[in-house]
Amino acid sequence: MTETVLETQGLTKYYGSTLALDHMNLQIPRGCICGFVGRNGAGKTTAIKLMLGLLRPTAGSSRLLGCDSQQLEPVIRQRIGYVTEGHRLFRWMSINELEKFQRAFFPKHELEKFQRAFFPKQWDDKFFADMIEYFGLPRKRKIKHLSNGERAQVSLALALVPNPELLIMDDPTLGLDAAIRRQFLEGMIELIMREGRTVLFSSHILGDVERVSDRIAVIDKGVLRANCSLEEFRAAVKKVVLSFADSTPADVDIDGLLHLRRSEKELELILVGTADEQIAEWAKSNRAQNHQIVQMNLEDQFIEYTAPANHRRLFRWEEK
Amino acid sequence: MALWIQISSGSGQPIYVQVAEQISEAIAKSELASGDKLPAVRKLASELVINPNTVARAYTRLEQAGLVTTKTGSGTYVSDPKLRKSDAADINILTERMDTLITRGLNLGLREQGK
Repeated sequence: MTETVLETQGLTKYYGSTLALDHMNLQIPRGCICGFVGRNGAGKTTAIKLMLGLLRPTAGSSRLLGCDSQQLEPVIRQRIGYVTEGHRLFRWMSINELEKFQRAFFPKHELEKFQRAFFPKQWDDKFFADMIEYFGLPRKRKIKHLSNGERAQVSLALALVPNPELLIMDDPTLGLDAAIRRQFLEGMIELIMREGRTVLFSSHILGDVERVSDRIAVIDKGVLRANCSLEEFRAAVKKVVLSFADSTPADVDIDGLLHLRRSEKELELILVGTADEQIAEWAKSNRAQNHQIVQMNLEDQFIEYTAPANHRRLFRWEEK
Repeated sequence: MALWIQISSGSGQPIYVQVAEQISEAIAKSELASGDKLPAVRKLASELVINPNTVARAYTRLEQAGLVTTKTGSGTYVSDPKLRKSDAADINILTERMDTLITRGLNLGLREQGK
């Protein structure tokens, strides 16, 4: 029995007549890191903003920590961390001022003593100080005078220090160098090790997603195409190369067929959820000379999985 | 100990398989002796910057292969070779490796030498 911390039902958003998100049903169980992947413009940011109640859905609903996204009360928001795309922070504040500003949203100090017992310690001054020192950031400098990487580091510290139960990050590593990207991954792992924390992050770096996630959600043109354990996805999308003695069969009828490419005597199939035995059987009954199941990496799997039907390479080498 | 484990995240091989294989290799080379304790799941996850569930899964795979045993509340230990059972998964790994080896041998023209 795992509890669901994030749930959307038929979540739909139109911008004018453009459909940005189409009936998304996403569930994320407590305690996982979910990588949220999709091509540019697939609807990731829209989905995230709807989940956080920053946009109004055209239809459908979403719930975070059991509360409707459109009515998140401050006590619930305190338990949710959100890192915006591009790490937008108040540019005119210094790091010190920003710390004070953020800390004020976690008013444990203002509570009566008996009340404090019911609130877990959230804002950790020492943790923030340690992170800023580790990053070597000048506390008095204004945000607008920091580099993109430094601003991202401040944003990471601000996200982790309140120890959020649910952390949602919108493409946090966009445009960052390898070292700072790794710090974000470390931060996610560090958070998830604490009891009952959950992370949802979108990214285009599939290697990062594979490294830290145990779940994956794939969105394509506003449609959620996969929402499962990473392992399941890794095992489901397969490439099979079959070779034939004289010509390839005209009709290819096999369960889970996504893409098909032919050359004279070879057939390349991209299959989803087809068992190896089934592939072997199909190869045999269609008189393939041999077949090979190729182990794809996550990036290739993602590209194939989200490619339109009949898609071809942009450039193709041709013998002259 | 985790320092020698190398994760390559663009590889076709799932990360839990990479971790399991590198540990099993260390056991085969006696870099890890029977009775040695593997790092705690969380510790290894933190050092390698990978999901703790991935480490847990790698350990389960090693356990299924009989290479390690988990003592509840204490940790995961390299098991005694005499007590190891070889199962299908184990043999599969071996077959895969041998296939690669045989292919390379054939490409080097080794087939001629038997005659």
